[in-house]
Amino acid sequence: MADVKFQSEILPELDPSAPLLDVRDLQVEFRTRDGIAKAVNGANFTVNRGETLAIVGESGSGKSVTSQAIMGILETPPAKIAGGEVLFHGVDLLTLSKERKRRVRANHVAMVFQDALSALNPVYTVGFQLAELFRKHRGMSKAEAKKKSLELLDLVKIPAAAQRINEYPHQFSGGMRQRVMIAMALALDPDLLIADEPTTALDVTVQAQIMRLLAEIQAERQMGLILITHDLGVVADVADKISVMYAGRIVEQAPVLDLFGKPAHPYTKALLRSIPRLDTKGQKLEVIEGLPPVLTNIPPGCAFAARCHYAQDVCRTDIPLLETVAADRAAACHFSAEVINGE
Amino acid sequence: MSDVSTPKPSKQRSLWSDAFHDLRKRPTVIVSVVVLLVVFAIAFFPSLFTSVDYKQCDIALTKAGPVSGHPLGFDEFGCDLYSQAIYGAGPSIQLALMVVVITLLVGGFIGVLAGFYGRWVDAIFSRIVDIFSSVPFLLGSILLLAMFRDVDLPLISGQFELIIPAVLTLALFGWTNTMRLIRASVMEARSQDYVHAARSLGAADGRIMFRHILPNAMAPVVSLIPLSIGGLISAEATLSFLGLGIKPPSITWGIMISNGAGWFTGGYPRLLIVPSIFLIVTVLAFVLLGDAIRDALDPKLR
Amino acid sequence: MGRYVIRRLLQAVLTLSVVLFMLHYLMSLAIQINGNPVRTFFGDKPVSDELLQATMEKFNLDDPCLKSVGDPCWGMFTDRMQQWSHFDFGTDFQSVKIGDSIANAIPVTLTIFAITTVVWALFGVTAGVLAAMNRGRFIDYLVRIGTTFTLAIPGFLMLILVQNIFGVIIGNWFREQFGRESFLSLIFQPTYSAKAPFLSLVIPGIALGVFGIAGITRLSRTSMLENLRSDFVRTAKAKGLKRTRVTIVHTLRNSLIPVVTVIGFALGDALGGSVVLEGLYNIPGLGLLAFNGVKTNDTAVVIAVVALASVVFMVTNLIVDLFYAVLDPRIRYE
Repeated sequence: MADVKFQSEILPELDPSAPLLDVRDLQVEFRTRDGIAKAVNGANFTVNRGETLAIVGESGSGKSVTSQAIMGILETPPAKIAGGEVLFHGVDLLTLSKERKRRVRANHVAMVFQDALSALNPVYTVGFQLAELFRKHRGMSKAEAKKKSLELLDLVKIPAAAQRINEYPHQFSGGMRQRVMIAMALALDPDLLIADEPTTALDVTVQAQIMRLLAEIQAERQMGLILITHDLGVVADVADKISVMYAGRIVEQAPVLDLFGKPAHPYTKALLRSIPRLDTKGQKLEVIEGLPPVLTNIPPGCAFAARCHYAQDVCRTDIPLLETVAADRAAACHFSAEVINGE
Repeated sequence: MSDVSTPKPSKQRSLWSDAFHDLRKRPTVIVSVVVLLVVFAIAFFPSLFTSVDYKQCDIALTKAGPVSGHPLGFDEFGCDLYSQAIYGAGPSIQLALMVVVITLLVGGFIGVLAGFYGRWVDAIFSRIVDIFSSVPFLLGSILLLAMFRDVDLPLISGQFELIIPAVLTLALFGWTNTMRLIRASVMEARSQDYVHAARSLGAADGRIMFRHILPNAMAPVVSLIPLSIGGLISAEATLSFLGLGIKPPSITWGIMISNGAGWFTGGYPRLLIVPSIFLIVTVLAFVLLGDAIRDALDPKLR
Repeated sequence: MGRYVIRRLLQAVLTLSVVLFMLHYLMSLAIQINGNPVRTFFGDKPVSDELLQATMEKFNLDDPCLKSVGDPCWGMFTDRMQQWSHFDFGTDFQSVKIGDSIANAIPVTLTIFAITTVVWALFGVTAGVLAAMNRGRFIDYLVRIGTTFTLAIPGFLMLILVQNIFGVIIGNWFREQFGRESFLSLIFQPTYSAKAPFLSLVIPGIALGVFGIAGITRLSRTSMLENLRSDFVRTAKAKGLKRTRVTIVHTLRNSLIPVVTVIGFALGDALGGSVVLEGLYNIPGLGLLAFNGVKTNDTAVVIAVVALASVVFMVTNLIVDLFYAVLDPRIRYE
């Protein structure tokens, strides 16, 4: 779906025919008191225009760090990008100058954060925080910027926007606040939107509304969308494909229906079993035994081996690589063939 | 960065033992603790450090330099400077410790009551705190001590007689800080689950307050104890300097500073520098220890 | 907001009345215990009862309640409050109108506090912010060591050292080099000089500022550090804003809110410190007035000055609280 006419003032060298986002072997480390924590150990995925990728994993699996590395907003130090490429239409965002990285944010790649209450500045009105984008990036006057901000609030379906624009974040409800966050991310019409647990802090009914809003806007604008979540259930309806992360690695990648139907990695399988479902009522809900490895001390071999029913000796010595297991899908497991066949 | 889990230590330690382990390893803590041990030893057993009587003065030796047996020389009245500095530690340290204990007990007790019961109990105590804190600490102490400087307190005699007025005054203006801190943390703790749990198990108010809430509410106060001891030593020295604290013939660092200040530029800077160094090193040790404890209890602000 | 202000004002009036009465009661108690200060006017000379009585009357110290220990002397208190309501603050033992003394002292003390506040805002906040932005680097260590030392050196000792080093040693050198009337000689003075009322207050004002600066610097630093790792600063970065805008608009502005509140407390410390400072430098401000009043048991002066100090302190804290609400929209006083 690449838009061949796509051009950018900020990134004139970009290649419109290359994928919107192509992350290759991304590695991020953190310096901690207990040593180097390898938060991301070689993440690979691509997102095209109009496509929704869900990155799923437990907390500590490296999914949020990955998204912040793409945005270029990791605190360095303590974080350090130890390797890999983040290609936006073929341009490696990691190697850009600071100034160009800054301009890519919001203009090309934007982000929606988890907890809108803490992610919005409490001492400024919502209008100020929206208008700021237009004034600083587009050089608009106050009046113009306010007009554009109002349009955005309407777009994300905030009622009585003209009045609410002068209110502070704490005066909004959780769902409305998250809509403000989304409006802010959409302000400069980005090509890629990263939503980091956009609904985790919300009530279940509101969760669905926010997901629907995101899906609608994404379809309308033909953006790329990355949804970061720990909850497979939330993304089932909206995602096109899913990458499952575990201990800083992508362990499985598949179109959403394939993954739900026939998981190819034991961890994915375990995750699916731990989702409460209506049709399996009466069955015991499974939990994944054990804890994920400590990131400063990841054992050799497969990081999931200690918690895995399929684990053999090879799993404790050799790291499984992400390999194609079927059309459009890959898994990093020595026994993915057995897993996918449900043995 | 909600997603970056800092790996937890395999053994789960409590906040306090974690803090203690952290503290033991720091050089500033070790140095300050050693300094404070020496200062306490000086304060409570001055005769171990000098055999010279600080009251034995020979005016003929006025401002004389160091000689054998008198390592720091003599002050303007011919008194031995070293033994004065040694005996000058006691009153300040004792005073500071007494004031801290009183403010902790009074401020802590009232703070727990006000924070736990809220409503009118809180309203009354908070107004009382307002009254005391509307007169600045040092101003109020100066005022009070000056007004009653010639009054002999009944019922008290012996060595404490000299420091009691200053102790009472400093405690009177000092308890409000402790009260406010404890009140705030008790209010926060009151609504927490373990308190509800204790209450639903039928624990009495008193038990909930002092067994469940207080130990948890103490953390912000504990790190302030060394700092406030340091501050009180400063305050006492200030009052002595103004002639309002401990009075001659007793000696304190504040009195020595007051005596020596005039000679600093008159060719005898030693008379000011000696007591100043004793005072600054002591307060510095308390400040460093207090900072270290606060950092250990709240590592993210380091 | 309006209701909150009214409630706070009522509370302040109540607190102030209690403070005034306590002051009055303590001063009466001091006279009841120590004896009437009027007697000391005559030294050891024998004095007739009539003369003594007449002198006591002159200074309003003839009330018989001053002879019985513990008597609250209500009559004296209500009389004084009535006088005050007409802005008549009585006279001191030198028969000078107290209102005039205070009016003369206020500009002097205000000048000192203005310098002090500038030191806090300019140096205190800047140092804290720089330390936070350069966390773990040289500036951070320098600022942290600096604040530790200013906490460890008692205020009065620092004032003595500043007076001796800057006023005497350095000042004398300037006076020898450039003459007595040169700019630097006037700034570096060991005592207040009526010839250069502003310049000779600069160093004492800065010294008083250093007295309370540690708290302000440390709070600015921690507050900046907290906000620098807050989610909304991360959002500001994600919005592609420039570093200066992220720092000033989205971090500094938020960080200054708690700093404003400690300035109220620091002012309280400075009010106490000004007694020592003005005594040392012989500065004819409110602190010296209060201190001399206390020394001579001049009740009328002490109550008036301390009451004024309390009013200033309370009003400052009220303004700080209201300012807090303006700076932080989450705070609503109802």
